[in-house]
Amino acid sequence: MTGGHEDTPGVRRAWGWLRHLQAGGTTAWADWSGPGPAGGRVLPGAQQLELLRRLNLVGVPSEALVHRVLTASAPGRGRPDLELAGAVDRPRFGPPPVDPADLPDDELLRVAANLLAEDVVAGEPVPEPAPGWVRPWRRRYRLLGDPALAVPLRTELIARGRPPGGRNAVVLVLGTDLGQMLADVWEHRCFGDGGATWRRWLDSLARRDVLPPRADLLRIAEAWTGRPGRGRVEVVLDPAAVADLVGVRRLSPPPPPVPADAADLARRVSAVLSLLVTPPRREVLLRQTLRPRLAGVAGPPVVVPEEHRAWVHTRAVRMRDGLLDAGYAVHGDPDALLPRARPGAAEPSDAGALALSLRLLLERDAATTGHTDHGSHDGGHDGEETTR
Amino acid sequence: MTKRVLLHVGTPKTGTSYLQDVLFRNRPVLAEHDILYPAERFDDQFLAALDLMRLPWGGLETEAVGAWDRLAARVRAWDGTAIISHEILATASRSQVGRALESLGHRDGVEIHVVLSVRDLVRQIPAEWQENVKHRRTLSYARFLEEIRDPQRDSRIATWFWGVQEVPDILDRWGHDLPPERLHLVTVPGPGGPPSLLWQRFSRVLGLDGLELDLEAERANPSLGVPETALLRRINQAVIHDLDPPDYRPLVRELLAHRTLSRRTDTPRLALPPDVHPWAQDLAAAWAGEIKDRGYDVVGDLADLVGAPPVQEWADPDHPREKQVAGAALDAISALLLENAKLRHAEERLAGELHEAHRALERAYLRPTYRFREKTVRRLRGSRAGRGALKAYRVARGRSSRSE
Repeated sequence: MTGGHEDTPGVRRAWGWLRHLQAGGTTAWADWSGPGPAGGRVLPGAQQLELLRRLNLVGVPSEALVHRVLTASAPGRGRPDLELAGAVDRPRFGPPPVDPADLPDDELLRVAANLLAEDVVAGEPVPEPAPGWVRPWRRRYRLLGDPALAVPLRTELIARGRPPGGRNAVVLVLGTDLGQMLADVWEHRCFGDGGATWRRWLDSLARRDVLPPRADLLRIAEAWTGRPGRGRVEVVLDPAAVADLVGVRRLSPPPPPVPADAADLARRVSAVLSLLVTPPRREVLLRQTLRPRLAGVAGPPVVVPEEHRAWVHTRAVRMRDGLLDAGYAVHGDPDALLPRARPGAAEPSDAGALALSLRLLLERDAATTGHTDHGSHDGGHDGEETTR
Repeated sequence: MTKRVLLHVGTPKTGTSYLQDVLFRNRPVLAEHDILYPAERFDDQFLAALDLMRLPWGGLETEAVGAWDRLAARVRAWDGTAIISHEILATASRSQVGRALESLGHRDGVEIHVVLSVRDLVRQIPAEWQENVKHRRTLSYARFLEEIRDPQRDSRIATWFWGVQEVPDILDRWGHDLPPERLHLVTVPGPGGPPSLLWQRFSRVLGLDGLELDLEAERANPSLGVPETALLRRINQAVIHDLDPPDYRPLVRELLAHRTLSRRTDTPRLALPPDVHPWAQDLAAAWAGEIKDRGYDVVGDLADLVGAPPVQEWADPDHPREKQVAGAALDAISALLLENAKLRHAEERLAGELHEAHRALERAYLRPTYRFREKTVRRLRGSRAGRGALKAYRVARGRSSRSE
């Protein structure tokens, strides 16, 4: 990185652009020509400067956020902090300089995910509802299967004084169409351990011809059938049947899936969080701090891409036939396991995830510093200094 | 307050595992001489480096939370010399370097020295490809060479390679805030030199001369030959998508690569292709010139950076002799069978224990008195007198679970 002591026309132009961006400017590096004085230990990398420009395009970041962006390093493996093409000659050593506008969104997302993870750690988790007093007359149950169905229902039942478990508890294996279950399990992972992208994860499953444990209803049913002290095992494919089976009048519908871009952003944040907090804390932060902030985001959820539909259908047929052959009680139509065409995105987009990350950074910034003007502005024209 | 910090930041494949092993095992001796090597377990400084650089590492990073700050706190609290060593620190960005130096007391008067051990590119390039293969990569040697020679350097392979190997750039990042005399370059002697020479150089730069240290290595990062590396790459291609890092590390990297295939030392060694050799030597010569101009402290000889001349008979790991690969594969299968037999025995023993536990559990559920006893215990737990009675009963009976 260019140091504060270097003084050439190109370097002065770079410091000028930095000042422009710090003042809220949005001019692209290629269009910038105004010089400025050196003002720091080193000139920030092209990734950090371009991310700040993108933030300026959609809002007014506070000085604190500007400082954080400019001093952030991209976590994980990837390109190092890069010099600006035109600010320095091609150095004899080190990576080649770039025009920040040419950087892929993925590179900017690495820096943004780092900052978002810090925000999530600093944020207050939305507490889960407190467990209600335990009803002695409650029906004993266990909820397993699709996490998008089982987890929220279990949380609600605990809050209503009906915790799972107990002697001879009926084991309810919840499911829906297999394509949706796969999407639900991936989303659940995004807000947990993180891991692979949707496509890579699905490719790996299809290549090995295996289902993830939470979506493999037959395997869950078989595993619980062999356990001592359990009650009967039943498969529930009709969400409306769950309330009656656990002995309550009604249950809230499960929350809708988060959009593909939001889930992918959570996955990236999870990777950074793994270096900031312990795994249990990471899961709490992702589910109770980040997820509520993503709940209202609009966008299509992930769906099974075309090339894997035949495989998912085959596995769904095999699961349906296996459950029926084994004689498990099935609530709902067994054909509900077969994948249905749904609107959605075959994979998340980096551009969408980046746009969302900018919005979340600005929202958090506004909440902590009092900045409220997040409307787009056109300050910082070529050579001009805009002030905040 | 620490008076001096010696920060050894790389590069990989320059005897770093050996150095770290000696430092770790000799911590008490070092401490007697006011030298701190802050590590409770062997990989503490690796975890600290992951934390500093926020670098995921196949799940190991979950053990690294807060590791750098803990390390820095120990160093700041030490009133002597502290040594920190890990080769992946070479990739730190300038802002990460700034954070590292500040956390170690750079602005508070602590004398920080950066040490970089370097080896010629003629050996480093094949060694780095082999490390990639040992870390689950499947790319061919030719592709690896192509990516690192691409001037754009935008692939992950090239980014990492140059991040940990480009000596002037590493020193630029780490030395930005330090005078050149506090940057020390230790050169790895060329092949055929005395084995102790590298240690003597490390010892000198780290101020260990005259100390009675146990220099027997317990840990090392052994190298593989051409057919062994080719086999490992094929194994990666076959299993990489199905074998997660927590399983890959012990089974492939440790069992196959380090404990089995590295013992085959009579096969051709990895080397640079003859057509790439001049490029690597020219680059190394340019680095050596730059280092000389910058005035760093060189321990060893900058001529070591240029490397040996091309090998007479170059063995291409992308097209190995299949007979040699088959030999390596046979050794690998034997090792896996023996390991599998060991695991089968362990599995049988555990299955037997689990079966017994299940039977005991079922007996407990089925006994007619079980529910009565369960109800009685539940009621007793509901009152203070009941809990006292239960405690007395369990003490009298001598059950280890009385605190339950």
